[in-house]
Parts: sequence; structure tokens; C-alpha cells
Amino acid sequence: MTVIVRIIDTDKIWQLTGVSGKTIREILKSIGLIIEEYVISRNGEIVSEDEIVGEDDYITLYPVVSGG
Amino acid sequence: MARCSICGKRAVYISRALAKGYCKKHFLEYFDRKVRRTIRKYRMFSEKETIIVAVSGGKDSLALLHYLVKLSKRVPGWTIKALLVDEGIRGYRETTIKDFLRVAGELGVEYRIVRFRDELGYTLDEIIEIGRRKKLPYHPCSYCGVFRRYLLNKAAREMGGTVIATAHNLDDVIQTYLMNIVKNSWEKIVRLGPVSGVTGHPRFVRKVKPFYEILEKESALYAVLNNLYPKFVECPYAQQSMRWYLRKHINKLEEMYPGTKYSMLRSLLRIIQLLEDKTDKIIEGEIRSCRICGEPASHDLCRACTYRLELGIMDENGNIIRDIDTGASGNQLSR
Ligand SMILES: [Zn+2]
Ligand SMILES: [Zn+2]
Repeated sequence: MTVIVRIIDTDKIWQLTGVSGKTIREILKSIGLIIEEYVISRNGEIVSEDEIVGEDDYITLYPVVSGG
Repeated sequence: MARCSICGKRAVYISRALAKGYCKKHFLEYFDRKVRRTIRKYRMFSEKETIIVAVSGGKDSLALLHYLVKLSKRVPGWTIKALLVDEGIRGYRETTIKDFLRVAGELGVEYRIVRFRDELGYTLDEIIEIGRRKKLPYHPCSYCGVFRRYLLNKAAREMGGTVIATAHNLDDVIQTYLMNIVKNSWEKIVRLGPVSGVTGHPRFVRKVKPFYEILEKESALYAVLNNLYPKFVECPYAQQSMRWYLRKHINKLEEMYPGTKYSMLRSLLRIIQLLEDKTDKIIEGEIRSCRICGEPASHDLCRACTYRLELGIMDENGNIIRDIDTGASGNQLSR
């Protein structure tokens, strides 16, 4: 019942409950992230932010802001 | 689920600005079409070119290198070479160089790595420390930008480059646009076009931005889909910059008002066009040659030589002054 959101290669990780049925866009917004700034993978597959989250999904975020 | 507007499969990307969704296949087609259109529209390359791709090891430049190597297979007159400028930023550049070497190896592309340490005598970390001690009024990104551009041009020319391709994307360009509005720097804004304006100096290599109309998110997605996405590390100096704040605000604006970024790019292109015949008034003086190093300069000295003299890391004859104490920060160990 837990959805995990993690920014790749960082220790920024969120464990969320009661979010299934929401879109990834809504979830990222609720934890204060800007959708424009991440490419999203769900359970290893690249998806758009309009995808609806299911139980036990593992969401990996690839930051799009370039380090330089 | 969000679907591809073309084939109905699951979307990997949606553009609210264009009101479209794309599956992997159709996203890559969209991306390719968009970049080729930019290249054609701004006449970036002719049939015969030695294209030097400026790479940092970040995802944008790896994406550009990958894209141009693939495109070059269809253009017999093109040679692609990669050039990486290693500023010497501890804990950052080592990682990105590894990613670069992996991709360059996979693509089988010829490359060169140029180091601040070798060319200037000091790493960027050391230069920043020297600048701090001398209380010079420059931000780390200013040293980095000036010296990188300088070495990029010099090394690209030495590699036989006829044109330099940089991975600046739409987001980079509009951030710079806004920064220069704030600073009232119109001479920089008129130079923000997709093709560099300064020409006519024998030592100047033309610069182009094939990703000019590509969003940062699109180039990141291209990198992820092609297994180019590097280990994520952020430049330790990046968070101190105005660019960093502007980027956040522009991204929030885009979320609230989709299409903001494209609109800002159109605004930039329009103002460049409007200012075109006034460019002589905005950019003062002609392009000259630096009295010390001979590279292109807008004054008696080029910016890189001006900085080096102020830092005291070079003498008036262009010789490196070595062994300046850069403190106990441990930077000396990184040599
Ligand atoms: Zn499709
Ligand atoms: Zn000079």
C-alpha cells in the first residue's frame, strides 16, 4: 500500500500511503516538486506525469536540470 | 492512462503546450524532426564540416553528441569530434568525465580533454580561492564561463573544427535572456541567437546551438531513452547563482501557464530581430585581437587575460605564474 518516490542517485526518498488513484502530477505537487524538472519512471518504465499511481508503485525521478 | 496522440500507445511524454502525447517511438521522431528543423532554419551546418561538440558529461551534451553522431551517418561530409573542458571541480567533474568516456567509447567518436590545470596553471577550485583572497568581485560561474569559452574556442580551432556545437537548450537560453534583462545587458541579448554572431576574426570558431528549440525536459528524456543519462551530480557552485532561482520560477510559471517557455523564446528572437540594425550601437567597437594571447577580444585584452592578470596567475607576457598558495582547502591535493 506504500508508493515510493525517489530522486535517482540521491537520498531524497518519500514513502507515501493513501495515494493510489492519484496522478503522478498530483503526487509530485503534494511533496513540493516541480513536474517540469523531472523525467519519470514507474517500476522501471518511462511514463508521463498524467499516469495514475497504483499500489506499491516505485517512482524514480530523473532530474532534468543540468548540473553544468 | 496518458496516450500517444499518434498511435495510442502509452505516452512517455506529454506536452501541455502543444496539447500532445508521445510514445517512445513517436517522441524520438518528434525530437529528431524538431532538431533537424532548427539546424535547417538557422543554416547551422554546411555539407562539409568538422563539427566540434562541446561536452561536459552532463545529459544535454551527451544527448547532443549522440544525436549528431547519428545524424552524421547520413551526411558524408561531416566529421564529428568531442571536446571536454575539465575545469577541475572536485567531486563533480571526475564523475561527469567517466560518463563522457563511456558514451564517447560507445559511439566511437574522437575526442580531446582540455584541463584548466594544464592551460591556466590552476583548477577552477583554486582560481575561485585565489579570487576570494584577492577580493575580486566575480562569481564562480563568471570565471568558469570566461575560461571555458576561451579554451573551447582555442582547442576547437586546434582540432581543425569549422564549427562548435554546444548543447544549450531552450531553458538555458531563456534563463540567460532573463538574467540579461535584469542586468540591462543588451549586448549579450543580441548574441543569444541560435548561431553566434561574432565572425570575421581568423581565430574565432563559429558556434551553433542545435538544441535551441528543445526543452530541457526533452533533452533529458532523449538521454534517458538512449541510456545516456549520467550519474546525477550537481555542480557545487550552481546553487549560488541567479540562474538557479530563475530556472525554478520559470518552471513554476510553465506549470501554471503551459507554453510560457516557447513564448519567451519567441520574445527573445523578436527582440534580436528588432535590434539587428542597431547592433553596432549595442556592441561597442570592433572585434580585435588580444594584446597578450592573440585570441578574439572586444578590447585591448580578452576577458580571459584580464581575469588572469587580476588573479595574478599570469604575467604581462602571457607566462603562467605558478605555485600561488591556494589555502588549506585541500585543493592542492587534487592536482
Ligand atoms: Zn506513438
Ligand atoms: Zn588574451
